[in-house]
Amino acid sequence: MTLLLGVLEEGLIYGVMALGVYITYKILDFPDLSVDSTFPMGAALTASALLAGINPVLTLFLSFGAGALAGCATGFIHVKLKVRDLLSGIIVMTGLYSLNLRFAGGRANVPVFTQDTIFENPFLAGIMPQWLSPYLMVLILFLIIIICKVLLDLYLNTRSGYLLRAVGDNEALVTSLAKDKGMVKILGLAIANGFSSLAGCIYCQHKGFFEISVGTGTIVMGLASVIIGIQLLCPENGTSFLSALKLPQVRPTTAVIVGSIVYKACISLAISMGMEANDLKLITSILFLVILVVSAERRKKVKSHA
Amino acid sequence: MKKSFRTFVAAAMAVSLLAGCSGSSGQTATTAQDGNPAAGNASSQAETSGSQAPDGGKSYTVGIGQFAAHGSLDNCREGFLLGLAEEGIVEGENLTVLYENSQADGGIASQIITNFASQKVDLICGIATPMAQTAYGVGRKQNIPVIFTAVTDPVAAELANADGSPVGEITGTSDKLPVTQQLEMIRAILPDAKTIGIMYTTSEVNSLSTIEEYKAAAGDYGFEIVDTGISTTADVPLAADSLLEKVDCITNLTDNTVVASLPVILDKAAKKNIPVFGSEIEQVKIGCLAAMGLDYIELGKQTGRMAAAVLKGEKKAGEMNYEVIQEAAFYGNAKVAENLGITIPEELSSSAKEMFTDITQ
Amino acid sequence: MLKLNNISKYYNTGTVNEMCLFQDFNLSVEKGQFVSVVGSNGSGKTSMLNIICGSIPVDSGTIYIGDENITHMPEFKRQRRIGRVYQNPAMGTCPHMTILENMALADNKGKSFNLRRGTDKKRVDYYRENLRSLGLGLEDKLYVKVGVLSGGQRQAMALLMSTLTPIEFLILDEHTAALDPKTAETIMELTGRVVKEKKLTTIMVTHNLRYAVEYGDRLLMMHQGQAVIDEAGERKAAVRIEDLLERFNAISIECGN
Repeated sequence: MTLLLGVLEEGLIYGVMALGVYITYKILDFPDLSVDSTFPMGAALTASALLAGINPVLTLFLSFGAGALAGCATGFIHVKLKVRDLLSGIIVMTGLYSLNLRFAGGRANVPVFTQDTIFENPFLAGIMPQWLSPYLMVLILFLIIIICKVLLDLYLNTRSGYLLRAVGDNEALVTSLAKDKGMVKILGLAIANGFSSLAGCIYCQHKGFFEISVGTGTIVMGLASVIIGIQLLCPENGTSFLSALKLPQVRPTTAVIVGSIVYKACISLAISMGMEANDLKLITSILFLVILVVSAERRKKVKSHA
Repeated sequence: MKKSFRTFVAAAMAVSLLAGCSGSSGQTATTAQDGNPAAGNASSQAETSGSQAPDGGKSYTVGIGQFAAHGSLDNCREGFLLGLAEEGIVEGENLTVLYENSQADGGIASQIITNFASQKVDLICGIATPMAQTAYGVGRKQNIPVIFTAVTDPVAAELANADGSPVGEITGTSDKLPVTQQLEMIRAILPDAKTIGIMYTTSEVNSLSTIEEYKAAAGDYGFEIVDTGISTTADVPLAADSLLEKVDCITNLTDNTVVASLPVILDKAAKKNIPVFGSEIEQVKIGCLAAMGLDYIELGKQTGRMAAAVLKGEKKAGEMNYEVIQEAAFYGNAKVAENLGITIPEELSSSAKEMFTDITQ
Repeated sequence: MLKLNNISKYYNTGTVNEMCLFQDFNLSVEKGQFVSVVGSNGSGKTSMLNIICGSIPVDSGTIYIGDENITHMPEFKRQRRIGRVYQNPAMGTCPHMTILENMALADNKGKSFNLRRGTDKKRVDYYRENLRSLGLGLEDKLYVKVGVLSGGQRQAMALLMSTLTPIEFLILDEHTAALDPKTAETIMELTGRVVKEKKLTTIMVTHNLRYAVEYGDRLLMMHQGQAVIDEAGERKAAVRIEDLLERFNAISIECGN
C-alpha cells in the first residue's frame, strides 16, 4: 500500500511535467531540452519563496509563471535568433543551471522541512480527519493534476489552442492563417515549461528540500511518460486495448498522466526486484528505444496501407 | 518533421547514457578497494522482520540508501555494517540489509526510500545529504527512524537543530572536516608555505561551508586561502592549471566532483612539484601527500553503533544528538613525499594511522 | 491591384553558382483577373508566387497590393489578404485535427485566436454547407481526422479553407499536380467555380497546358525569369494548346535540350 501510494505520488508529480513534455513533443513537434532546467528552477524558486514566507499555494503560480518565462526564452532563442531547436533548449538548460543556484540563494541544497507547504499546513491539519492522512498527499496531487489536465484540455479547444495544435501539425497552414508561427511556438514552449516548473515546485514541497541535481533526466522521464502513455492508451491511428475492451477512449492528456505513473511503477518494480540503480538509466534508454522503434514500425504500416 | 525527433531522442538517450557512464567512472576513480559487502546480495528478498519475539530472537531489516557511488561513501556503508555487527546485529543472522544506490539521481533516491518504507524496514540509513533529506522526508511520515551519515552540515540541511538536537526521529554522524588540524599538519610539513589552493564545486553546499571555515582559520596558521570554483568535471583541468600558478600547495575537501577528478589534479601538481593534501584516506592512497582526515569506516562504525541503539530500543533516534568523529587521524604517503623531496616530520609519521608506501592508480 | 516593379532575385549570390532568377521583372495584375502561368522547370513560376507571398525575399524592386507597398511585410501578414493552395495536399490542412477543427481554424483567419471556444457551434451548419458544395461527402465526416482523407479530398478542403474567409488574392501553386487525372479534373472545376463565385483575383501556376488554356482570362508563359507570352482577353481566348507546345519546343531548342 505504501509502495502504491509512493508510486502514485511520484507519478502524479512528474505527470504534471509530462503534460508539458506532451505539448512540446507531441503537439509542437519541438524537441525541448529546457525542461531539464525548468523543473529544478521551480524547485529552487519554491524553496526560496517558502523560506521568505510566501504562501505555499502562491508558489505554484509563481513557479508556473517563471517556467513560462524560461520557455519564452527558449522560444525566443529559436524563433528570433534562429538557433536550432535542440540547441536553443541546451542553451537555456545550461544557463539556467547557474541561475537556479542563484534562485536558491547560492546554495545547491535548500531544506524546507520546517516550512508550511501545500501538503502540510495548519489549515489542512485543521480540517483533515486523521484516517485520511496517509492518502492526503495523493489526494492533493490528484487534485492539482486534474486541474492542470482539465485546464490544458480546455485550452487546447480554444482558438488559441487550435493554433498551437496547428503549428506542430502544419506550420505552413499557420502562416496561411496570417499568424506568426514563431509566436505560437513561443507560447507553446511557455506553457510546457510552466508545467515543468510547476512540477518542480510540487516536488520541492513534497520532498521537503531543493537539490540542484533534481533536474537530471527530467526530459527522459517526461518523454518516457508521454510515449508509454500514448502508445498504451491512445496510439495514433491504432486501436488501443481500451477500444478492444469496449472501454471509453481517453484523451491524450489522461494517457500521459497514466504513462507517468506506469513509468514510475516500472522503476519501482525494477528497484524492488534488486536492479541496481547503476543500470536503471541504461534500461530506461533501451526501453525507450524499443517503444520508439515499435511505434515507428506501426506508423510505417499505417502509411503503406493508406 | 519527424527527423528532428530522431535526433532529439538520440540526444536524450546519449545524455542519459553519459550520465550513467559518468557515475560509474567516478566510482572507478575513487573506489580503490571495493569490499562491497552489501551490494551483491542487495534486497532480492524483502521479508519484513516483524517477528517481535522476546529478546535474543529479534531480527531487523535496515534499508541503506546511498546517494552516489564514491569511495568514501562506500566506506561509510561498510563501516555502518561493521558498527552494527559490533553491537551484535549481524547481516545474514539477525539483520536483513536492503541496499540501493541512487547514482546521484534525486528522483531515483526518493523512489528507493519509498520502496524501503513499503517494505516496512525498521530503520533507514541515508548516506550523504540529499539521501538523508529524502529519507527524513519519507521517514517522518511513515514513522520510520532515520540514521544519516556523511552529512557535513546537518544543521544547514535541517536534519538537526542548531544545538545538535534532533528535529525528529532522525540522527546520525557528520563528516565535517577537521579543518584546524589539517592546517596544523600542513604547517608542520611545509614550514615556508604561504598560500593554500582549494578547488571546489560551486553547487556543493558542503564545500562552501568548509571553505568558509578554512578562510576563517587560515590566518591563525599564517596561510592565505586561494579558492577556485568549478561547475563541472570538465572545468577541472583549466581550473587546476590556473590554481597551481598561484599557490604553494593544494588541499582537498570532500567535494564529490573534485575528488572524482583528483587524478587529473595530482598529475598536474606533480609536474610542478606542488604538494596536494587530501581530506581522507582514499585520497592519500591515490597520491595525495598526507591528510588529517576522516576515516569513513570509523565514521560508519560510529553510525552503526547509533543505529544499533535505536534498533534495540535502548534509545530513540529523537533522543540522540548527531555526532562528529571524535579523532582525526593522520594518513601519509611516503612515496609521494619522496617524489616531492619532502620529509614528513617524525612526530606526524609516527602517529600515523596509516602510511602508504606506493601510489595506487 | 497587384504590381511587381523591377524585381531582381539572385540565388547563391557571390558564389560561382550565382544564378539570376529575375532581373527587372515587372508584372501587373488587374482586380478580378484570373492569370494562368505556364513554363518549364526553373523558369521562375513558383519563385514568382513565393515572392508575392513573401516566402522568399527579393534583392531589389517593389511589390504593391493596391496602393500598399508590401515588399518588406513578413509572409504571415501578407497572408491576411492572400489565400494559397500548394502542390502538396498535406500543406493546406492539419492532418491530426478533425475536418470540423480545420474548418474552424480557417474560418477564424483574420480574427483573433483568443481563448474563445475553438469551434463555434453556431457555425457548424455553415461549415457543413460549404463542405457539401464540394460534393465529396465530407459534410458527413466532420469528426474524422483530415490525415485519413485522400489527397484529392484534402486538396478540396485546402481550397475551401483558403477561400472561406474574404481574401483579395488566390494563389494556386500547381495545386492539381499531385493528384490523379480524374481528381485533378474535379479540383480544377471546383477552382473555376469558387473563383467565379467569389470574384477572386487569381494567379494559377500549372503544368497542365489544357487547364491554362481553358481557365482564366490571362495567360503567362515564363522563361528564364521573363514572360515570353502574355495574352489577355480575346487574344488569350484564342490561344491553343498547340501554340503553347510549339513555343515550349522552340525554347527547349534554344536552351539546347
